[in-house]
Amino acid sequence: MDTQWPRFEVFKQDAPNQPYQNVGTVHASDGEMALLNARDVYGRRPNCHSLWVAPERAILKVTAEELGNAQIQQKIAEARMLASSELLQNYYVFQKVSQKRTMTFVNYVGGVQAASPRQALALALDRFSQAEVWVWWICPAEVVAASEPGVEDSWFAPALEKVYRQQSYYGKVTRKRRDERLQIAQQMSQPQAQTKNEVSK
Amino acid sequence: MILESESRVNTQENNPEYSQRMAEFEARIARGEKIEAGDWMPEAYRKQLIRMISQHAHSEVVGMLPEGAWITHAPNLRRKMVLIAKVQDEAGHGQYLYHAAETLGVAREELVAALLEGRAKYSSIFNYPTLNWADVGMIGWLVDGAAIRNQTMLARCSYGPYSRAMVRICSEETFHHRQGKEMITHYAQGSQVQHDMAQDALNRWWWPTLMMLGPHDADSPNTGQLIRWGIKTKTNDEVRQEFIAETAPELIGCGLTIPDLELRFDSESGKWLHGPIDWEHFWQVVKGNGPMNKERLATRQKAHSEGQWVREAMVAYAEKEGKIADGYAMAAF
Repeated sequence: MDTQWPRFEVFKQDAPNQPYQNVGTVHASDGEMALLNARDVYGRRPNCHSLWVAPERAILKVTAEELGNAQIQQKIAEARMLASSELLQNYYVFQKVSQKRTMTFVNYVGGVQAASPRQALALALDRFSQAEVWVWWICPAEVVAASEPGVEDSWFAPALEKVYRQQSYYGKVTRKRRDERLQIAQQMSQPQAQTKNEVSK
Repeated sequence: MILESESRVNTQENNPEYSQRMAEFEARIARGEKIEAGDWMPEAYRKQLIRMISQHAHSEVVGMLPEGAWITHAPNLRRKMVLIAKVQDEAGHGQYLYHAAETLGVAREELVAALLEGRAKYSSIFNYPTLNWADVGMIGWLVDGAAIRNQTMLARCSYGPYSRAMVRICSEETFHHRQGKEMITHYAQGSQVQHDMAQDALNRWWWPTLMMLGPHDADSPNTGQLIRWGIKTKTNDEVRQEFIAETAPELIGCGLTIPDLELRFDSESGKWLHGPIDWEHFWQVVKGNGPMNKERLATRQKAHSEGQWVREAMVAYAEKEGKIADGYAMAAF
């Protein structure tokens, strides 16, 4: 079987103090390469300030619909009861809170310490349920690889200079106004009308 | 993560529980909620999405080839940078879309294998050759213009991951469209040689662009269900009409002639009427008999097999360093 490497979820931070937002996945052999691929795939345009990547398989994902399932509720209830003497780990919590049309999915909302991903979810449900949440992700902090502080200039600043990637660069080629298009359309109400434009050879 | 007991419900169409789930599913779509990976969905919805999204992903990847061929022949540095950026975007769009397909439980490896073995389809438009430099501009104006029409519609798709990929792609694709239009407008109003080059490109790309938006509604048996489930929100003919209404006046306005003597604007209905589309030709191209099908596939196969040692070497390195991501515990219920 061909390998195209495991999948990593990519989280992009547009500016300092903005939440990390999930933008999609990349395939990579390890976290370091996942960051490089994430920069190429999701950082081609401004603004990008920082990136996180995490192995897709290590993230606990659950939708609001799944949380209504009795079996899943039971498992979360059991996890909640886990002895706190267990080794605690840090988990990052992400949520989808909107049904608006957007290019990003779940946003980082904060961290919890828990003995397992399910217990982390139970704690997150208590702590971060202010808004209507459609999707929850729980990611162990230890599996996250982050772009290093200070790489902004070499990793993300060049995208700012490539203004020809922005549609505004071609601003002078605006769409014809509706009435202009309609005027040409009216002239085209006869099939042969177009021939007056024929190039004279 | 779908539980074992639930995935069985997907296929039991006579089961009352199935009917209830289906009703809930359709009610969610009617309310404008996005369906996300993990939510219940009918098997036919999942299959249609995998088919559409993977074909779309393949189209982005194969779509790099016709224009990529002109990178080393660009007439100046500005046009060259623009073209490189555009082709790189197409590679990125392929990645966004494979990602969206993978949320439905297929692996990119399977999808790419289907493409390389000739089992998967991609847009018929990329099986035509790019014969002159103006083809690069004409592809931007017409092909990307038609694609944006289609993709703006798909950005409203009920499946969250596909919708989000489309929103991102549309925002980037607008630059592709603009640079093409800028180039063609410039040539159409430039020297006679430039004008003729633009006209030649239009003559060859107009009909294939109308075809790439898909068969007429009367010949698209799946459209009803796709619209009911919010996968598509407009029919092929509706999107084609929007495309012509926007593009035809602008092409004519810059002095070019659309190669359809029957094309006219019907003042009564407010619609553009075009001559008959050669669907026999379209299906021949879809079936693999277009001018460039074999070449496109051979190019992808070559790139894939020549990259194999890199993929293997990177895995070997990650394993040696103990960093391979397959080693992480799987989180699931």
